Amino acid sequence: MKEVIQGIPLNYYLFLSTVLFSIGVLGVLFRRNAIIILMSVELMLNSINLLLVAFSAFHGDAKAQVFVFFIMIVAAAEVAVGLALMVLIYRNIKTLDIDFLNKLKW
Amino acid sequence: MQSVNYIPIVLQLLVAGGFVTLAMTLTHVWGPKRKSAEKLENFECGIESQGNARMPFSIKYFLTAILFVLFDVEVIFLYPWAVNFKELGLFGFVEMLVFIAFLLLGFLYIIKKGALKWE
Amino acid sequence: MKSIVLLSLLGVTSMFAGVFNYRKLILPIILIGIAAAIGLFVDQWGMNKSFYQMAFFDNYAIAFSCLLLSVSFLIFTLALYHYRKEGDIVTDLYALFIFALTGGLLMTSFSNLVMLFLGIEILSIPLYVLAGSRRADLASNEAALKYFLMGAFATGFLLFGIALVYGASGTFDLAGIAAYVKAGKDIPDFFYVGIVLLIVALLFKVSAAPFHFWAPDVYQGSPVLVTTFMSTVVKIAAFAAFLRLFNYCFTPLASYYEIILTAAAVATLLIGNVTALYQQSVKRMLAYSGISHAGYLLIALVVMGASATSVVFFYSAAYAAASLVAFAVLTAVMENKEGRESFETFKGLAKNNPILALCMSVAMLSLAGIPPLAGFFGKYFLFATAIKDGYLWLVLVAIFNSLISLYYYLRVIINMYSSADDEVPAFTPNYALVLMLLLSLGANLALGFYPDLLMGLLG
Repeated sequence: MKEVIQGIPLNYYLFLSTVLFSIGVLGVLFRRNAIIILMSVELMLNSINLLLVAFSAFHGDAKAQVFVFFIMIVAAAEVAVGLALMVLIYRNIKTLDIDFLNKLKW
Repeated sequence: MQSVNYIPIVLQLLVAGGFVTLAMTLTHVWGPKRKSAEKLENFECGIESQGNARMPFSIKYFLTAILFVLFDVEVIFLYPWAVNFKELGLFGFVEMLVFIAFLLLGFLYIIKKGALKWE
Repeated sequence: MKSIVLLSLLGVTSMFAGVFNYRKLILPIILIGIAAAIGLFVDQWGMNKSFYQMAFFDNYAIAFSCLLLSVSFLIFTLALYHYRKEGDIVTDLYALFIFALTGGLLMTSFSNLVMLFLGIEILSIPLYVLAGSRRADLASNEAALKYFLMGAFATGFLLFGIALVYGASGTFDLAGIAAYVKAGKDIPDFFYVGIVLLIVALLFKVSAAPFHFWAPDVYQGSPVLVTTFMSTVVKIAAFAAFLRLFNYCFTPLASYYEIILTAAAVATLLIGNVTALYQQSVKRMLAYSGISHAGYLLIALVVMGASATSVVFFYSAAYAAASLVAFAVLTAVMENKEGRESFETFKGLAKNNPILALCMSVAMLSLAGIPPLAGFFGKYFLFATAIKDGYLWLVLVAIFNSLISLYYYLRVIINMYSSADDEVPAFTPNYALVLMLLLSLGANLALGFYPDLLMGLLG
């Protein structure tokens, strides 16, 4: 398996994850629905996981893969909190469009 | 940089695609055909289905689902531990017990708070 | 390490206080627990213990941890006053505060990037919940969602930075990365990209310009005690992590990223101070003041070196002491004025509660940097170090900004000493508020008159 991963040049992984990461960033910046923003953040995190696994195979050390586990766990915890917050907000204002969150402006 | 041999992957793809096509064609040709209103329902469970799937459903499912995700994902850590169980020895075992104990405390908290009570 | 374990257990204890019915006992237990944690840290002073290359408890980590713990101790004393009428939910909030504090301690003592990531997340996730803890209040909801989305976004940058740094150096260990940078043999370009991404993420976390825009909204919307925690503990922890990471790993490459930090420092100072000028809410003004103080601390980061650590430590201690007083008085005033927080709300405070007004004045003057208060010495040491290292123009910008900041700090004082129809009524603060004010005011004055108490600590 390691040979297969290493058969593709490292730069390809780097480009792929950078592109995925950028798609995630653009999603966060331009989408207005809180859930889609959250999904874009997940896309960012998963592009990082991909990159870490690729680096891990190239360096031949498993630390990065354990790090990926940590990222997954923390992402799950974050999503749980985030979705709970969104449910809370949906109950109060009946929408998840972040443009309606404008109470705090001077 | 050595080039990779992609032929096994291509073969795998061909076999996978071929099996799907073959199985579907065979069932189409040989399978019995009975067309009736009940047969075309989305769910064949005997109960009349109500509305469509994209309707809002009770928020109670949300809490259960989220709690399931949280406890489910923690299992990730058990795999690397299990693979290295022998090398880690007693120390690793105790560490994992501590980890599970914290999870159980969380579970106890959920039960005590009544988050799993349906009514 | 013992005190981190102790704090986790303390968090679990207060989590169960609600369900097993020892609500009344929990705050004393927490206060004793935090004091014990400080004791355990002080006991480790100078021992440089390492914990499986994951956490390293050198004097830097211990000093900042003790600062975070002391500040939290005072915040919990304030909680004794602020939450005295609240119901069941309070023990859960305490548990979240303690978990967040544990994350903060990890951020001061990490020696591996994994721990930095976990520390930041353990600090942030409870805070997302805390920011939204007034469930029926739309402002609180909005603050929580904004904080959550921005925090998760920043985490993405942090992780991408960590991944790139790992990809180049092949290790998550700070010592390993430092050795890699020092060797400096064919460092790939993406390593520098990684450093920049780390800077972006940490600037987000310390709420420095141009990544500060979430801070005022979040600070204003959150419940006042949570705002206190965010603008003191979170900010100090983030700066401790920032300084530790960059001081330890990347100093040989300082010439590459210095320009970014300098620009961020200047922008933070200007935006923080100028925007604070036309705020109507004292809480929001304090948020902008927090942003501008992040700018001063960034100057220390630019200047770097071993001397920067003691300056950052002293400055954050002075800033925390003054902010705590300011937030405590704000809490008391808001409680007696139906939760309003504009500058005008403070009118008549000096007439009806002269002692509180005096405390607030001391806090404002200390934040503005008037001698002989702690804030003045913080700025003095900072500017002196910066000038010595040849950053005179940066110091001039900072001094210009201090002058701007005088306006909005004095505006609070002037409002307190003027009268109106709708004045703050006379009220007697309870023992917890008095104790909290006495302790933080004492810290303010002590640091002002004996700055050497903390200045020599980190050499």
